[in-house]
Amino acid sequence: MKRSHIIAIVIIAVAVGALIGSLYDSSTYADLDQALEHPGKEYHVVGTLDRSQEIVYEPSLNASLTTFTMRDLNGKTCKVHLAKAKPQDFERSERLVLIGEANENGEFEARDMLMKCPSKYNEENKVTG
Amino acid sequence: MTEYIGEHLWAGQLGHALAVISLVGALLATSGYFHGTRTGQVEWTRLGRLGFRLHSIAVLGIVVTLFVMLFNHWFEYDYVWKHSNLAMPMKYIASCFWEGQEGSFLLWTFWHVVLGNILMWRAKDWEGPVMTVFATVQVFLAIMILGVYIGDVRIGSSPFLLIRELPENLGLPWTGMANYLGAIPQFADGRGLNPLLQNYWMVIHPPTLFLGFASTLVPFAYALAGLWRKDRTGWIAPALPWTFFGIMILGTGILMGGAWAYEALSFGGFWAWDPVENASLVPWITLVAAGHLMIVNKRKPTALFSLFLLTLFTFILVLYSTFLTRSGVLGDTSVHSFTGDGMLPGLLLFLLFYIGLSVMMLLTDMGQRRFYAVISTILLGIGVGLQVQVPAILLFGAVSIGVLVSAYRQGFASKEPEESLWSREFWLFIGSLVLLLSAMQITFSTSVPVFNLLLEPFDKVFGWIGDTTGSSFFKGLADAKLAPPGEAIAHYNKWQIPFAFIVTFLIAFGQYLRWKDTDMKKFRKQLAVSFLVAIGITALGVYLLKYTWSELTLIALFFATTFAIIANAWYIPSVLKGRLKSAGASVAHVGFGLVLLGALISTSRQEEVSRNTRNMDLRFLNEGFSNSEDILLYRGDTVRMGDHYVHYTSKRQTGVNLYYDMDYFAAVPRSYATGDTVRVGDMLFEAKEAHTAGRYFLEDQPKHWTPLERFSRRELWHTEDWSSSAPGERLFGLAPFVQLNPRFGNVAEPSTKHWLQRDLYTHVRYADLALASDTADDTWMPDRLYDKHVGDSIITPTAMAIIDSVYIMRDSVTLRMLGDQYTVYAAQLRVRDLYRPDRWFEARPLVIYANGEPVMGKSAELEPLRIRYSLATVTTDQGPTMGHGGPIPATGGPRIAVGINVAESEFLVMQAIVFPGINILWIGCVLLFIGTFMAVWQRVR
Repeated sequence: MKRSHIIAIVIIAVAVGALIGSLYDSSTYADLDQALEHPGKEYHVVGTLDRSQEIVYEPSLNASLTTFTMRDLNGKTCKVHLAKAKPQDFERSERLVLIGEANENGEFEARDMLMKCPSKYNEENKVTG
Repeated sequence: MTEYIGEHLWAGQLGHALAVISLVGALLATSGYFHGTRTGQVEWTRLGRLGFRLHSIAVLGIVVTLFVMLFNHWFEYDYVWKHSNLAMPMKYIASCFWEGQEGSFLLWTFWHVVLGNILMWRAKDWEGPVMTVFATVQVFLAIMILGVYIGDVRIGSSPFLLIRELPENLGLPWTGMANYLGAIPQFADGRGLNPLLQNYWMVIHPPTLFLGFASTLVPFAYALAGLWRKDRTGWIAPALPWTFFGIMILGTGILMGGAWAYEALSFGGFWAWDPVENASLVPWITLVAAGHLMIVNKRKPTALFSLFLLTLFTFILVLYSTFLTRSGVLGDTSVHSFTGDGMLPGLLLFLLFYIGLSVMMLLTDMGQRRFYAVISTILLGIGVGLQVQVPAILLFGAVSIGVLVSAYRQGFASKEPEESLWSREFWLFIGSLVLLLSAMQITFSTSVPVFNLLLEPFDKVFGWIGDTTGSSFFKGLADAKLAPPGEAIAHYNKWQIPFAFIVTFLIAFGQYLRWKDTDMKKFRKQLAVSFLVAIGITALGVYLLKYTWSELTLIALFFATTFAIIANAWYIPSVLKGRLKSAGASVAHVGFGLVLLGALISTSRQEEVSRNTRNMDLRFLNEGFSNSEDILLYRGDTVRMGDHYVHYTSKRQTGVNLYYDMDYFAAVPRSYATGDTVRVGDMLFEAKEAHTAGRYFLEDQPKHWTPLERFSRRELWHTEDWSSSAPGERLFGLAPFVQLNPRFGNVAEPSTKHWLQRDLYTHVRYADLALASDTADDTWMPDRLYDKHVGDSIITPTAMAIIDSVYIMRDSVTLRMLGDQYTVYAAQLRVRDLYRPDRWFEARPLVIYANGEPVMGKSAELEPLRIRYSLATVTTDQGPTMGHGGPIPATGGPRIAVGINVAESEFLVMQAIVFPGINILWIGCVLLFIGTFMAVWQRVR
């Protein structure tokens, strides 16, 4: 066997490994039902902030804990403990992506959150006259 | 037609006209250069030149027009309105220019124009084919800037659209008003540049990055030109300096992005493996690999196919990155990706065209090229026609891979004997392949959202495999709802650290190998010293930075980078004999090693010093979140943080920035005098003699302290805890700040203290944004109102208050001073410190009522608890109490309701991270830049 063949095989093996590895490590987008059915498994949950419920952030107790309620795209709501300080303008957020897992109590423990606030642009884009 | 008032229509019309001219120019250049190259007729080439010049002038005109519009604040234009405003300093006009999609495409086009003109001047006999490729790219970019509709599909987006012409506004009533600009207040000022982007980084980072992207087109064009002219090696020499120029500029752009993130954004680091960051890193990696293969193949063509593949791949990856970050496919996965805005079809076409063109040109046979081109066009045409784009693209991909393999076997498979195992070319080749793998891994993981689209047609197949094998992995694939790795940094590090290890190890010895074959005895002798020194430094590093065996991969990388740094530095005096002219590669390699070493040390040994310093009891909380990474500082408070004491002194506003001044003090050992008492747990101790505290109380106690037998509860509460250190002299101050912006949201920006060997990076996570000017007093957080009854208790995070009674004050002084129509109520509170539950306080806030309305009050502050109670209202269930005399009974009769405001002393929440050795990284960046520049310089001359 020529050396170039060995190299080619190694390269292909690593490339396939990397491809499967990236698929394997990837998380899954899910709704709350699915996340709550599988406590302890990591999901990305997309939804909105439920503004009718209280946002609790008590920095003097724990500066990295924000508790709030989210509503997923199916309309289901769930209490969320986010292990981060309350983000600036959280109340104005339009869309949330929570990264974390459900716990045994039917609550979602988020490690991280991506937040999009396009609403503040759109409000002003809608020029009425 | 309405005659609109106050519009500057000529600018938009000029811009549109210039965009059309730039497209026409690019088309002329394409056909002129194409026929000129094919036929060799000078007339055609002249036409090509004319076309490209026309295109260049038009592009410059567009740039100037857009600047004029931004400069004059013509807010009737969507781009101007969206990206600038009146309040913004003029120096950031440039940032506005490239903040949006259209502007950044324009920037990219502009750099292509600059590079293209240099090539027209310098490329000599390569001008024709190289410029043909350039011109085609400019055709695509011109279309993207022009913004055209093909049927219902919008391709690209123009920066010259009026707001009233936007599709979403067409037909709205106000668009018919002639004076809409004056009448509608929103048009008076633009939305403005996001304050996050109002800094000098935004002025210098995008142009550098885009110049880097643009310069990948040069080797791409040369490679295609080489294939076209069937001169497979002649193109390498002219393309080589351009490639290293691209490596230098793109690398600088990427590192600038990292420096920006570190200095001015509160990401908490310089690299986060964000898709947008990856999108610029991946082309750099493949460009580095291509550049090194060029060096190999320039001497003797041994790995031509890999060279072509990597060179072509680099530009395609730039297109793919653009597609990923700008088409909207990344969706929710990146913080700073652009949204779609109709860019997807155009970008996809752009990408597929150049993939197809590259594959086609790698075929040697004319007939096969035509066949492949026809098949691809038909496939994609059917895909679009029948709305089955995804399967069509997949099929196109499969055909292209097949064609690639056959192109290799027909035209490139080498019949010559293989190069020696111990030759420089062999290991350069291996290194390039490892770089390619590293780039592929990053691309795969960044592309997870794209997989969802590509996997969709196979839902049923994967579902079936999942059901028959019971594998949840395949079931997951069938759902096609993949999200990027949750632990992104861990995921990428897991793959990239081994790749980095191999690459740096190769860098260490690569230059000591000779071309063709190496005298191994000499090789070992030359490297032995570096190797041993590297082992020594690694051992020292492991000891000082406390690496454990579980971090073996980090230790290995530490060793490889040190080895690379020393071996390359040693190469200059030992082999080059100090000839700096040819030392570019060595200097760049030292720089690269330092970048990796600095990144390794600073990220693996970063320490969140703000973590857990208050030792607060987190009883009320979820167990999982006890590990707080942020510190809470009350105003005036001095708290131990890492090696320092930090004191929150004041806050002040300058412009839109709200600064929080922090003073840092040295931590010095605390001295106790004879007779001092300290509290440890529930016991009090008295100092036997004057002494300096040691590290632990238990060590000090037998020698220096006697326990007190008898003491009152009061003494226990009021005695300070023992501590080993005390704040010493003030060392420095930091002022992390919050940029106030009601429109885009407030942004916290860090403040960092730099030392030679480490950085202290701090930023505000949460703070009260009120200033003394807004309210009477900014030393308290906003009040929170509790509606309670007598006998109830109020629980706040730090204290519990029991409302014992509410009574009317009837003492003579009060009555005499106020008169009859006033009633003074007092609430008697017992307050318990929740952090020391044996500590009780009393508080008595007052409120004065006149004619049934509260008029003023006097609050009660409890300084040790940093809490303030104010009595807001006193009512019975029937209405305000207006009785006279004595305490109001808590039981029997109407219940007494009180409104009590509770405020905490003003505080903020801060994150502080120590990054050790980060200067190694920055020094590495500078050396990498200098070394690459030296290499380019040497090759240009």
